[in-house]
Amino acid sequence: MGDLLQIEKVNKAFGDFHVLKDISFSIPKGGIFGLLGPNGAGKTTLIRIITQITGPDSGRVLLNGQSLAKDDIHTMGYLPEERGLYRKMKVWDQALYLVRLKGLSKREAETSLKEWFTRFEMQDWPSKRVETLSKGMQQKLQFVIAVAHRPQLLILDEPFSGFDPVNTELVKQQILRLKEEGTTMVFSTHNMASVEELCDEIALINKGEAILNGKVESIRSSFSKSLYELRFKGSSVSFANALGIDFEIQDMKSSGNEHKVILKAHNQQPASKLLQRLIPVVEVISFQEQLPSMHDIFLDRIEGSATEQTDNE
Amino acid sequence: MSKSLLVIWREYSTRVGRRSFLLMSILGPLIMASGIIFVFWLSLEETEDQKILVVDELYPLFRQLEDSDKIDYEVQELTLDKALALLEVTDFTAVLYLPKNILSSKAGDLYFRKQPSMRIHRQIEQTVQQYIEVRKLPEFDISKTDYYRLKSPFNLSMLKVDEGGEATETTMLAAAVGLVFAILIYIFIFMYSIQVMRGVIEEKANRIIEVIISTVTPFQLMLGKIIGVGAVGLTQFLIWTVLTAGIVTIGQAVIIGDRYDAERVTEQMQMTNEVQEQLTDINRFDAVALNAQESPFSKILQINFPVMLSLFLFYFLGGYFLYSAMMAAVGSMVDSETDTQQFVLPVTFPLIFAYALSFTMFENPSSDLAVWLSIIPFTSPVIMMIRVPFGIDSADLWQVYLSMTLLVATFVLITWLAGRIYRTGILMYGKKASLKEIIKWIKHS
Repeated sequence: MGDLLQIEKVNKAFGDFHVLKDISFSIPKGGIFGLLGPNGAGKTTLIRIITQITGPDSGRVLLNGQSLAKDDIHTMGYLPEERGLYRKMKVWDQALYLVRLKGLSKREAETSLKEWFTRFEMQDWPSKRVETLSKGMQQKLQFVIAVAHRPQLLILDEPFSGFDPVNTELVKQQILRLKEEGTTMVFSTHNMASVEELCDEIALINKGEAILNGKVESIRSSFSKSLYELRFKGSSVSFANALGIDFEIQDMKSSGNEHKVILKAHNQQPASKLLQRLIPVVEVISFQEQLPSMHDIFLDRIEGSATEQTDNE
Repeated sequence: MSKSLLVIWREYSTRVGRRSFLLMSILGPLIMASGIIFVFWLSLEETEDQKILVVDELYPLFRQLEDSDKIDYEVQELTLDKALALLEVTDFTAVLYLPKNILSSKAGDLYFRKQPSMRIHRQIEQTVQQYIEVRKLPEFDISKTDYYRLKSPFNLSMLKVDEGGEATETTMLAAAVGLVFAILIYIFIFMYSIQVMRGVIEEKANRIIEVIISTVTPFQLMLGKIIGVGAVGLTQFLIWTVLTAGIVTIGQAVIIGDRYDAERVTEQMQMTNEVQEQLTDINRFDAVALNAQESPFSKILQINFPVMLSLFLFYFLGGYFLYSAMMAAVGSMVDSETDTQQFVLPVTFPLIFAYALSFTMFENPSSDLAVWLSIIPFTSPVIMMIRVPFGIDSADLWQVYLSMTLLVATFVLITWLAGRIYRTGILMYGKKASLKEIIKWIKHS
C-alpha cells in the first residue's frame, strides 16, 4: 500500500525557537502510525501543521500525493490531547455541531452519530448537558465526535488517557475495527505499551528532528542487544558449565529448583547452538530472545541524543 | 448551512436558550418601565399655582381663555418683549405667547423662570387647543363626531428665560430619552462584548478551540462569535423595547389616566361608544393617536423615533463590533477569566469614560468636548446618542457623518488587528502576553 501522508522537510519556528527542523517521514495507508517523542519535541506543532491549524515555514505535507488543501480537513479526524467541549451545551447539539463543521449535512451527521452512540452505549445521553458527564464519558463523546465523519486519517493524541480499563478496551476495539475498515491512524502517545500493541510504524521525534522512523518490529530488532531469557529446571551449576564462553549470565532468579536467567550472547553466536548444549543438562521450560521494549528504545534514543548534544557543545 | 452560519447559529441559539437570557428579557423591561412610569408620576405631581400672562397677537381672540384648577390666565394685548420684561418684575410665573399664525401653525411658546410640571404643560396645551377648536366649530358646521376627528393637536414649546433675557428651548423629556438610549448602548456594548470575551476564553480554556479551528479559520470563528452574540444583543433589545413600551403604555393608562383624567377618559369612552360603529379601522387608529397626543408622553412621541432608532442601531452595532473585537483579542491573550482584569480596564476605559461623562454631556450637549467625543469612535456610540435628541444643526451634520465613517473605519481596522492577535493568542498557553509579544503576533502571524 502507498503512503497516505508524506511529510517533506518541514520546518517551523516560533521566533528564535526552532520547533521543527527539516522533518521528513511518510505515513502508510491503512495502518496505525505512532508519533512519539518527549514533551516539547514538536509533536503537537507537527499535528497542527497536518490539521492546517498552522502552516510550515518551509517544506510541505502531501496527502495522497497532493499538497494539503483547505477541504482536506474533512477527511481528517482529530482528537487533541487536551480535550474540551462546550460545558453548557447538550450532548447531542454539541456532537451535531462539531460533526457538521466537518462538512457533513445534518442528516448524514445524525445517522452517523446514532450509529456511534449505539456502539458506545450512549443512547440515553443526547439530552444531557456536557457538564453533567464524568470525565471518562466526555472522553468517549470526544472520540465519537472525532470519528463520526468517517475520516481517512484519524489523529489521536493520547487516546487512552482518562479512560478506565473497561473503556480503554472498548476504545481499543473500535480503533482496531477502524483499522480493519482501512482508516489510517496517527497515534501520539507516551504510552509505549500501547505503541507496541497497536502501532505498525513509528516516528520518534526529539527536539524537532525525526531521530527514528520505521516498522516497530524492525526497530526493536535493530536495537537488539543479543539478550535471551531462559527458564529451566535443574542444577544451576551444570547449567553454568554448559554455557561456555559465548554466553554470559546477566541476571538469575531462582525459586527452588526453577530458574530464570538473562543471557547475553557474545560474538553473535546463534541461539540454537546454546540450546543444543543445554538440553542434555537441564530441563528447558522456555527460551526467547529479549527484544528491547519501545520504552527502553525511547529512553535510550532520547538520552543518547541528549548526550550527543552535550558532547557537541 | 455554511460553516460561518453554523458558528453564528451556535453562538446565538445556545445563548438565547439560556435561563439567564429569559430572566434578563423580563427583568430589564420591568425595571426600565417602572423607572419611566415613576419619573412621569413624579413629573405629574403638583407644583405651585401658575399665573400666566398671555400675549395674544390676535387679541381679543383668546380673551375668554378659561382659568383652570391651578392656572390663572391674564390675556393682554402687548408685545412679547414687554411681556418678558414684565415676567422679570411681576409675580407672573410664565408668559404664554400665542402668535398671529396660531390657527395655522397650531403652536405657541411658554416662557418661564422656573420649569412648570408636566401637568401644567399639558393643561395649557389642552386649554388652548380646545379653545381653538371650539372657535373653529361654527365655521364648518360640524357634528360632534367630526369634531373629534378634526381635533387639532396644539404644540407648546417650552422656553427657558435666563438672566440675560435669552430664551432657549428645553426638551428635557426628549433629551432624557437620549440619555436612556446612551445608557442602553453603554450597557449593551459592555454586556455583550464581555460575553464575546468569555466565549473566547471558554473555548481556549477547555481546548475545544483546537478542534474547531481545524475546520474553520480563526477569523471565521471570531467573527461568527461576534455576530452571533451581537444578534443575541439585538434580540434582547427588541424584546426590551416591545415589553417596555407595552408595560409603560399599560402603566400610563392605569396609573396616570386613572388618577388625573378620569372625567375625560369617561367622556371619551362615551364618545367612542357612540361613534364606534361609524369608525373605520383608520379612524379608530386616529382616536388612539389622539389619546396618545394628550398624554404626558406626547413630548416623547415628538422625537423622531425612526431616526433615533436607526442611529441607535448603527451606533450600537458599530460600538459593539469595535469593543467586542478588542475583547475577543483580550480573551485570546489570557488563559482564564481571572487574568483578564489588567486588559479589560484599559480596553473599556473609553467606554466607561463616555458613560461617566454622559450626564455632564446631557447638560451641555453642544460643548466642544461633547462634539469631539461624539466623533471619536471609542466614545461616539454613547455620546452621539445624547446629542441627537437635542437636534443637530444642518450645518453640523458633517459631524454625524464623520463620526459614522470613523466608527466604521475603526471597527474594520480593529477587527483586522484583533483577528491577528486572536489567531496566535488562542493557541498560546501559560505565556503572559506582553505588549511586545502582542506586537510580534500582529506582525508575524
